Amino acid sequence: MSEDRLFVVTNDQISPTRARLGLAIIWVSFAMLFGVAAWQIFVPDAADSWRPTLYAYLLWITCLCIAQVLRFGEQGKRRLFVMPATIFVISMVFFPLIFGLSIAFTDWNLSAIDGQKFNGLDNIRQMWRDPFYWNALTNMVWYTLAILVEYVIAFGLALILNSQIRARKFFRVAFLLPLMLSPVAVSWMIGKSMLEARFGPIARFGREVGWSNPSFFGDPEMARAMIMIMDAWTFIPFMMIMLLAGLQAIPKDIQEAAKVDGATPWQNFREVIFPLMLPVSITAIMIRIIFKLKLADIIINVTSGGPGGATDSVTSFIFREYRDRSNVGYGTMLAMVYLVIIVIGFTIFMKLASRWMRPKY
Amino acid sequence: MRVDHYKSIIRAQLSRRNMLKGAASVGALAAMGSIGLGTKPVFAAAHSDLRKEILAIPGVGTGSPTDRDWQAVGELCLGPTKDRFAEGEFEGVELTFMGLNNQNLHNFLFRGFLRPWEDYTGAKINWIDLAQADYNARLQQSIATGTVDFDIIEMGAPFEGDVTGRGLADPMPDWVKEVIDMDDYVGYLQEPVGTWDGQTYRISIDGDCHNFNYRKDYFENEEFAQAWADEGNEGPWEAPTTWQKVQAVSKFLSGKTDPFTGLPAHGYLDPLKGWGGFGFYFLASRATAYAKHPDDPAWLFDPEDMKPRINNEAWVRAIQDVLDIMDTQPADQINADPGTTGFQQFLAGTGSMVSWWGDIGAGARTSDTSVVGDVAGFSILPGSDDVWNHNAGQWETLTSGPNFAPNMAYIGWGIYVMARVQGDDKKRTAAWSAAAHLGGRDLSLWCSAYPSGFQPYRNSHFNIDEWEAAGYDRAFIEDFLGSQADSYNHPNSAIEPRIPGIFQYYSVAEDELAKIYAGEYATAQDGADAIAAAWEAITDQIGRDSQVALYRASLGMG
Repeated sequence: MSEDRLFVVTNDQISPTRARLGLAIIWVSFAMLFGVAAWQIFVPDAADSWRPTLYAYLLWITCLCIAQVLRFGEQGKRRLFVMPATIFVISMVFFPLIFGLSIAFTDWNLSAIDGQKFNGLDNIRQMWRDPFYWNALTNMVWYTLAILVEYVIAFGLALILNSQIRARKFFRVAFLLPLMLSPVAVSWMIGKSMLEARFGPIARFGREVGWSNPSFFGDPEMARAMIMIMDAWTFIPFMMIMLLAGLQAIPKDIQEAAKVDGATPWQNFREVIFPLMLPVSITAIMIRIIFKLKLADIIINVTSGGPGGATDSVTSFIFREYRDRSNVGYGTMLAMVYLVIIVIGFTIFMKLASRWMRPKY
Repeated sequence: MRVDHYKSIIRAQLSRRNMLKGAASVGALAAMGSIGLGTKPVFAAAHSDLRKEILAIPGVGTGSPTDRDWQAVGELCLGPTKDRFAEGEFEGVELTFMGLNNQNLHNFLFRGFLRPWEDYTGAKINWIDLAQADYNARLQQSIATGTVDFDIIEMGAPFEGDVTGRGLADPMPDWVKEVIDMDDYVGYLQEPVGTWDGQTYRISIDGDCHNFNYRKDYFENEEFAQAWADEGNEGPWEAPTTWQKVQAVSKFLSGKTDPFTGLPAHGYLDPLKGWGGFGFYFLASRATAYAKHPDDPAWLFDPEDMKPRINNEAWVRAIQDVLDIMDTQPADQINADPGTTGFQQFLAGTGSMVSWWGDIGAGARTSDTSVVGDVAGFSILPGSDDVWNHNAGQWETLTSGPNFAPNMAYIGWGIYVMARVQGDDKKRTAAWSAAAHLGGRDLSLWCSAYPSGFQPYRNSHFNIDEWEAAGYDRAFIEDFLGSQADSYNHPNSAIEPRIPGIFQYYSVAEDELAKIYAGEYATAQDGADAIAAAWEAITDQIGRDSQVALYRASLGMG
């Protein structure tokens, strides 16, 4: 085996019959899968559910795995270590995506007697004219930009916790506590209790210091800021702990060498610590962006997207379109477009990130 | 009570208050039965002890009932089940019940009520608990994907088009009708509500309407009365009976101090944040007096073509009313949903007027979180000095005085058995037995007297003596029940259409209303036009012809 880079020493003797058997069970099981699926698609009321097709699919992937051993022997066994996981991931991503796309191009209101109807690009056209969706996308830009502020705060906290301060272990645990809370709990404890305009302790304090009518969610900018703050409070500890791990991995001798060369603390940070932390920082920011793009729970619980859509996120809007209005086709198209935007955005970001992370010197 | 019965009483010169005065009301209604109108006696004497016993659990003024109380009530009301079924008759039957968990009521009560039923019959019930906001989506998804995974459902009449119209519910057996005494239902809950193609499906457990709740301490306050006169306002200082006066009072109270809490005083409380579609009812309650003309059964859509009326002058005036007093509302009101206005504000002592379902009255003296039990007053929704005649395209002043049009919002919850039990007779009988237990006459009395999420819906619920014996103050309960009875029996009540997808209309309206209230439209008319456009799109998507037919049927227009 000239292309075998794994240095397989076993000398498999795969007979042509065995190899053909392997190939045969793949194709026979695939034909069964195809047949059952076609039967279910084209014969109305063929079965109560899609389970027959699912079972045929499971049979096919089982045959696919067995055929690897039959056809490739020892090499096939090695492939078996990764194949189930690979097939599982493909099944969980690929099929729902195909199914989702098939819904996205239909007019499907759950209350419509006629059910699902193909409507081509009508959902895209509707989206193009939908001010609620564009408003939510604009809000998402603001929410995502807020990550830069969160990053600065998280970096600062990580630096403090990395230095020799008193009760360092206590603070490390204390700063992590918000991350352990569910965003739903944060919504109710902070958004709907502490920030409650009449009885909430923060509103009471506001009145004590002369704020006559404390309102945290009445003004669009204020409401958006409060959502950002609650979300940041929950997730800054996550960025902080990643950055802290990165800081602790920086070799001490490099920092000491900089000191010996006469670097000031600021120069030490700017020229040594920050560049070395760039890979960790980019990773932390990327993961945080992923979390942020899913932002919905706090908004749904506290403001329902209000006032006037000022705090709506794309996810909370899709949730409303899908859940309250049973508009499945349109809601799915909105989610698909969001997915495309995210994929393009992330590709660009990762390209830029790899450029930023190249050594400066 | 049927409208014709009500009119008979009116003709006999019986005022509502007199009608509800204990023995007098019993006598009047019994007399109606004896003169051939067919109404049953208000309450069965044989059950009077039982009813007294259950109403004493836990007793008004002794805090919120607990699971132990619900079980005790369920046990005491098990008589009809024991009369018809042997102990352990449903052994091995497993049923799934889907309902709500609002304010820890609904399903929480049903569990308690049905525990003795389970113990006695041997059946087992599995529970699907849903938040109010999740209910519509869960139900619609189950229907659309053919995955109805429940045998019994707690459902509102607005969903009947979606469920019974598709043959997903099981028609009610005759024996159930006898057990639950359907003739005792108030008039507007009688057919066609609960029926489809001549078959009955629904066991009513609730009778919904919005009534007007106000703080008597505000309107009996002498300082306010003096200031009201000093500022040159028209009429006496009293609880408003028209929306025009609600507006004036709300503006007047701005900047004054609440006589009870010492915090800023507020007038009418508008929920300005959506509530999964249910928030729209609160704008509707403001609009019905303007939009529901006595000569026209329609008020939400044109019955000929489903063209929305939401952007006609009546609805726009209602929206403008909200905008006009937004600055008089508590801080952060734009973030207040109906749950907030009802429970966290009005019952907790903020604001002086609110429209809500009967939960406010039922909870005012029995809920742990209420501080207004002694000062809460009730009436039907305010009227209007003039009413929009949509067909004539003009405002009219009625010779009979202000136009009142109580909003029969949601038409109440009911219990329905799903068609999927039909293959198994034992399971079907068990499901209907459980449903009949929850919709029983005596148990329903307890539900209307204590926090349950349900309000009175039977003629027999309006016997003041029973409520007084339970510990209610006579004047309070006459006031509360009177507002309910007057709403149910009003000849110009605005009844919600039972059309598929009605909550989609409400939900999209909530989104646009939020924008209107946030000042994102130049005028209320612009915002209302946006709602109308969105409603047209929904009608086209669901199917205009079928919607027109169902809407006309719901209005009794054939």
